[in-house]
Amino acid sequence: MGRFITRRVISGISLLFVISSAAYLLLYISSGDVARNLLGPTATDEQVAAKAAELGLDQPLLTRYWDWLTGALTGDFGTSWASRAPVTEVLGGRVSVTLTLVIAAVIVSALGAIVLGTLAASRGGWSDRTIQVVSLIGAAVPGFLIAMLLVLFVAIDLGWFAATGYVRPTESFSGWIQTAVLPITALAVAGVAAVTQQVRGSMLDEQRKDYVRTLECRGLSRRSIVFRHVLRNAATPALNVLALMFIALLGGAVVVEQVFAIPGLGKLTVSSTLTGDVPVIMGIVVVTVMLVVAVNLLIDLIQAWLNPKVRLS
Amino acid sequence: MKFSYRAAALGAIGALTLAACSSTDTPSDAESTSPTGDSSAAANAPLLNLGMVDAPGQGGFVAADMSFATKAPYGQAVYDTLIRATPDNQLEPSLATAWEYDETGLVLSLGIRDDVVFTDGTPFDADVAAQNILRFRDGAAENANWLANVADAVATDPTTLEITLSAPDPALLLNLSRAAGYQESPASFDDPAPVGTGPYVLDEARTVTDATYTFTANADYWAPEYQHYDEIVMTVFEDPVSMQNALLGNQLDAALYSGYDGFDQIVGAGYTAHEYAQDWEGLLLFDRGGQLSEPLADVRVRQAINHAIDKEGLLQALAGGRGEVTTQIFGKNTEGFSEELESRYPYDPELARELLDEAGYGDGFTIEFPTVSFVPPATFDLVGQQLADVGITASFYEVAPQDYFGVMLGGQTPIASMRLEQPATAWETYNLELAVSAPWNAFHEFDETVASYGELLQSSVPEEATLAASELNAHIVEEAWFNPWYRTVTTFYTDAETDVTPQVGNIYPYLWNIVPTEG
Repeated sequence: MGRFITRRVISGISLLFVISSAAYLLLYISSGDVARNLLGPTATDEQVAAKAAELGLDQPLLTRYWDWLTGALTGDFGTSWASRAPVTEVLGGRVSVTLTLVIAAVIVSALGAIVLGTLAASRGGWSDRTIQVVSLIGAAVPGFLIAMLLVLFVAIDLGWFAATGYVRPTESFSGWIQTAVLPITALAVAGVAAVTQQVRGSMLDEQRKDYVRTLECRGLSRRSIVFRHVLRNAATPALNVLALMFIALLGGAVVVEQVFAIPGLGKLTVSSTLTGDVPVIMGIVVVTVMLVVAVNLLIDLIQAWLNPKVRLS
Repeated sequence: MKFSYRAAALGAIGALTLAACSSTDTPSDAESTSPTGDSSAAANAPLLNLGMVDAPGQGGFVAADMSFATKAPYGQAVYDTLIRATPDNQLEPSLATAWEYDETGLVLSLGIRDDVVFTDGTPFDADVAAQNILRFRDGAAENANWLANVADAVATDPTTLEITLSAPDPALLLNLSRAAGYQESPASFDDPAPVGTGPYVLDEARTVTDATYTFTANADYWAPEYQHYDEIVMTVFEDPVSMQNALLGNQLDAALYSGYDGFDQIVGAGYTAHEYAQDWEGLLLFDRGGQLSEPLADVRVRQAINHAIDKEGLLQALAGGRGEVTTQIFGKNTEGFSEELESRYPYDPELARELLDEAGYGDGFTIEFPTVSFVPPATFDLVGQQLADVGITASFYEVAPQDYFGVMLGGQTPIASMRLEQPATAWETYNLELAVSAPWNAFHEFDETVASYGELLQSSVPEEATLAASELNAHIVEEAWFNPWYRTVTTFYTDAETDVTPQVGNIYPYLWNIVPTEG
């Protein structure tokens, strides 16, 4: 187990290095005249040149990347070009917002998918067909459309939840419910749809296996077979889909946070990309890669716990 | 996801509006010794939720580097200015009690209040004011050029600030009522946390950079008649759809709206729309010297473009009819504006073809034309079609949003589609779009007639300046320097508990003019 984790951490660090290097290179190529864009059209050429020097834009690519990398290794991701705030401070307040939403959406997806997938697989018939059609629709409708429909009908017309904004659960739990339910729902719909199909398919496969018949012959109840044995064995592929969903939801948060004007990582990604704020974008890249690596590792560990046949080493 | 041209343009206007300044409506001195707010110092309303179209930007809250225009409320919450402008830009005392130029017009003396203290306890005096003036001049604000003519600023005594100019600057006083006049505590010069003498204090614990800014009332504010709320929360909406949703969900008390539609629904949700013409939209015919596109050097070609474009059609198609067709870059309230000139270029493709024929381009020509993602594609489709109808082929090429201003202002394109501010005064308009050094005179073409009018605007008596403005405007329209389509309407919404007085010459109303309604 220890060797497995060490190996995964090392490969995660390698991945982080490769992706951050590629991102830095791509940003270098596509960044345009950042100093001019930051200062606006009326700034003089001298002002623009001074700003470029202040930001280190007059340095060669390798020097800039080395400066960034050595800073990043010590936890210093620099200062946002667009707002002058330290990148760690800019990201700090936002990572928790996005993670709260995404983790909640993953939990909702997992619970929803287990219920619906199990129902579809065990009941069959109309229940199965209805759940399959609904899942298909849920997977097909884009998240931003769901988000906008929720805002229009649930927040504005019915007035049940806030249309925009975000209140941290630590500030006010009821405020968090008011602001978080709709974005979580918008994020979770695709997750529920995708994982439901996976749970259903895996459970049907498992139900056809010999050990299920054996258990039935031994007189175990249907409920016990499904929940204690079939579901557990069917969880492995579903967990893989859930892990992929987590990563996809990080991307989905970009759009959903924009629609709900939530100050999270997704909204920051849009704004910092538009302004060419390289330090912030690089901070987002690092955080995202770290999250992806951590989630994959976590899923592997959960799978080992659920199914001892999965050998980590 | 929708990214609004309007939002981008509103942001851009920050820089556009304020490239140049004027004080043709500025008194040369003021004797009053106390501020004159238009409301009494009644008890504050508890909270103002204000919708913003952008964050403070690269200057953060550093007074010397702050932007203005759409970002004005951030600075005005924390900092006072030396001079205060009324909604129609009459100048009143603020931290400066009086001011006067010497006979050369090169030395400005300002009397400075001696009873004001920064929120960190540092006393405000003339020396602090001098430091702030020089810091803004030398800082990284996009409008640092507002103080470009300041040679020096010194405190001759604690209540007298003397600003020496390298050249007469009729815009200086007005600029001291804007970001150039912000006063920050010297103790916080090296600290990003803002410390001013202003009506509010930034609550950093309840602020998320680039998203939500919370301000609480400065309990010891020296001019309580300009402080109306216990707390102000400014929320940034980069996406106009989310701002519209926030308005429809009654989450905002007041907002500068960046959206294209939904106006009726927002009014239906109980908001009052305050509309004012703040900018014009159209084509900038940059290359009047024919460096990149030889045909544009011929005035008949530029006039042909003006006749080729169906302004009314574009107004309906692109702005939903919300605006007024125009031929002028001078605003309706700007001296020099002429109602007669509005009919100078009717939509007449036949006449356009004749003009092109006269100019020797009867077979048409091709012109490079940049497109950008934040300008709706319909703009280019319609304009391209209308130009093609008279024989001009627009060769469109995509420019990344971050490069668009560089392409336009760097003289890299002969023509571009843009929305620009209509400043309050002819002098501002001149410095923004017409002077040889004006940023939107991208090829910096020198025109002797224009320059001579510019000199008159700067130095002559008001009547002569108005006449010069009229003649300058007529000259620009006749020479077809631009192809304006229409004046767009800016909409500022307030709910039933909030009222506002828009500011002439600034797209965002000044913060103290957003007030709770009585009763």
